Amino acid sequence: MSAEIAIGAATGTGERPLRRALRSGRVVVGGSILLVLLFCAIAAPLIAPYDPNEQDLLNALKGPFWSDNAEPGFWLGTDNLGRDTLSRLIYGTRVALFVAVCASVGTMLVGTTLALLAGYFGGVIDWLISRAVDLWMSFPPVVLSLILIVGFGVGIGNVILAIVLVDWTRFCRVVRSEVLVIRRQNYVDAARLSGFSHLRTMVREVLPAAAPLIITLMSLEMGIAVIVEAILSFVGMSVEASIPAWGVMIADARNYMYQSAWGLILPILAIVTTVLAFNLLGDGLRRTFDARLQQH
Amino acid sequence: MSGEILSIILRRIAVAIPLMLLVSVLVFIVLRLIPADPVAMSMPPNATNEDIEALRREMGLHLPIMHQYGIWLGHILEGDLGRSIAFGQPVSKLIGESLPATIELAAFGALFATAIGLPGGILLFRLRGRPSEQAVDVGSTLMMSIPEFLWALFLILVFGVALNLLPFAGRLPPDMTIPRLTGFLLLDCLLTGNLTAFLEAIRHMLLPALALALGTVPLIMRLLRSSLLDVIGEDYVTMARLRGVPERRVINRHALRNALLPTLSLMGVQFGFLFGGTLLVEVIYSYPGLGNLMVEAVRNTDLPIIQGAALIFALAVLTINLAVDVVYIVVNPKLRRAR
Repeated sequence: MSAEIAIGAATGTGERPLRRALRSGRVVVGGSILLVLLFCAIAAPLIAPYDPNEQDLLNALKGPFWSDNAEPGFWLGTDNLGRDTLSRLIYGTRVALFVAVCASVGTMLVGTTLALLAGYFGGVIDWLISRAVDLWMSFPPVVLSLILIVGFGVGIGNVILAIVLVDWTRFCRVVRSEVLVIRRQNYVDAARLSGFSHLRTMVREVLPAAAPLIITLMSLEMGIAVIVEAILSFVGMSVEASIPAWGVMIADARNYMYQSAWGLILPILAIVTTVLAFNLLGDGLRRTFDARLQQH
Repeated sequence: MSGEILSIILRRIAVAIPLMLLVSVLVFIVLRLIPADPVAMSMPPNATNEDIEALRREMGLHLPIMHQYGIWLGHILEGDLGRSIAFGQPVSKLIGESLPATIELAAFGALFATAIGLPGGILLFRLRGRPSEQAVDVGSTLMMSIPEFLWALFLILVFGVALNLLPFAGRLPPDMTIPRLTGFLLLDCLLTGNLTAFLEAIRHMLLPALALALGTVPLIMRLLRSSLLDVIGEDYVTMARLRGVPERRVINRHALRNALLPTLSLMGVQFGFLFGGTLLVEVIYSYPGLGNLMVEAVRNTDLPIIQGAALIFALAVLTINLAVDVVYIVVNPKLRRAR
């Protein structure tokens, strides 16, 4: 019976956190930036003025429209091969957001599953999973993702896989301690007593209680994934050369920063804005959910 | 009492050893996935089949994989990390030459991070409840969104290119050389009595170390603030206030001492990450350290260097964590009495 009450309570408050989240300035600002970026990613072929790989060598290294050496038609200037910076930035959102979404869902699935198993069952399972986390954490994330990419080879799928294999520990550690707390709640015992299987208890009782934390972590993880992808494409270990990515733009522009600093600044701003949006969203959500916890 | 501390420390080391072994297994297995053939890469194009077979046997590639791992590990324990495919030199020599530079950089980065982060955390705490808190809060979220490799580029643009104040390539001006004594450049400058070179080396290190630090500073700031918030409600703080101790002194003498402990323990984890952050910062500043060596090796698929560098990075993180644990145990009176 307690289980039904718990489920009822969970669904009953299901809408209110969302509305409260929308009252948080952080969530609104972060979410709005992300909606704009999402639009850029989806509508890239429609809104980008040029093909991102189209070269115009006569108009190489032009500045943005407010600078002295601007060239009409190239709003944010061009790179060393005369490719349009604005178009490359717009197309770059595709790689960034695709990696962010896929990698965060992947890390969430792997990390949360292991955290649930470790926190719920405890004992040997917990010990094994916790030691695996320790092992992973002894590698600097950048070093581990680099050797994984060396092992798997480049390509966007392998980048996502590498991020998942590096970052599941982030979820696992945090969610595990949350599950340890939830596990001791009366309604979880009640669910077991009323004949729920372990699996059903975990999925129906424990998981919903950890959901706010998981959503927050996912938002932060998306920001991290954007950074890792940028790092890997910066060192030339991410996507194929024909796909425009912000990290590649930075690597290209770095060699010409004396001629055109904006070529370097703009992709940096794109990355920072995206990561900031994810962090604001995550931060805002965390505060919203915390407030709910305090109320009860 | 010191015997008890020693036994705790020894226990931590005992945990670190199997962890390090597992790290080596992980490195070995992941890099075995590489489609590239190490034999083909280290042979001239006109090599005969017999030559190739001979080298395969010499490298032990005909043996089962666990056996290969055993041989590899045995060599490592003897300090033999193999021979670089691209440079033809022993990996241990290459790493030995670049590691001191990375240690110096990471140490300066950690120093800067502490020097900026701790006062920043106290500032954040002092601003609690004021209108400016929101602004500083958003500011720290913004800072958290900038990873060290973007700081590195940004600092180059501002202080290197635009203001032309500080150098951002290498460790010394091209026309300056220092005889290699210890491998630690700053130390070597002092040992040879070359103060000009010492100051130049510091100047070259300011931007990369600052870039490393700025990635860590907002975390330290937030951590210290929340630790301070935790202890500020404690009875002894209230008592100090009731005794009429000025607020500044309450924070510095009473609250800070206890709030520093959790901050210290998490700073250890952060310094582990900071060490990993040297990788890209070194690439960006053409800084001749372990990270630069490793990224170069990744581009050349130079397997022995990648393996060796990855192991050293992991070893460094474990050592840093261990060192912080030890400091934590030594300075934490609760732990001292408990065990």
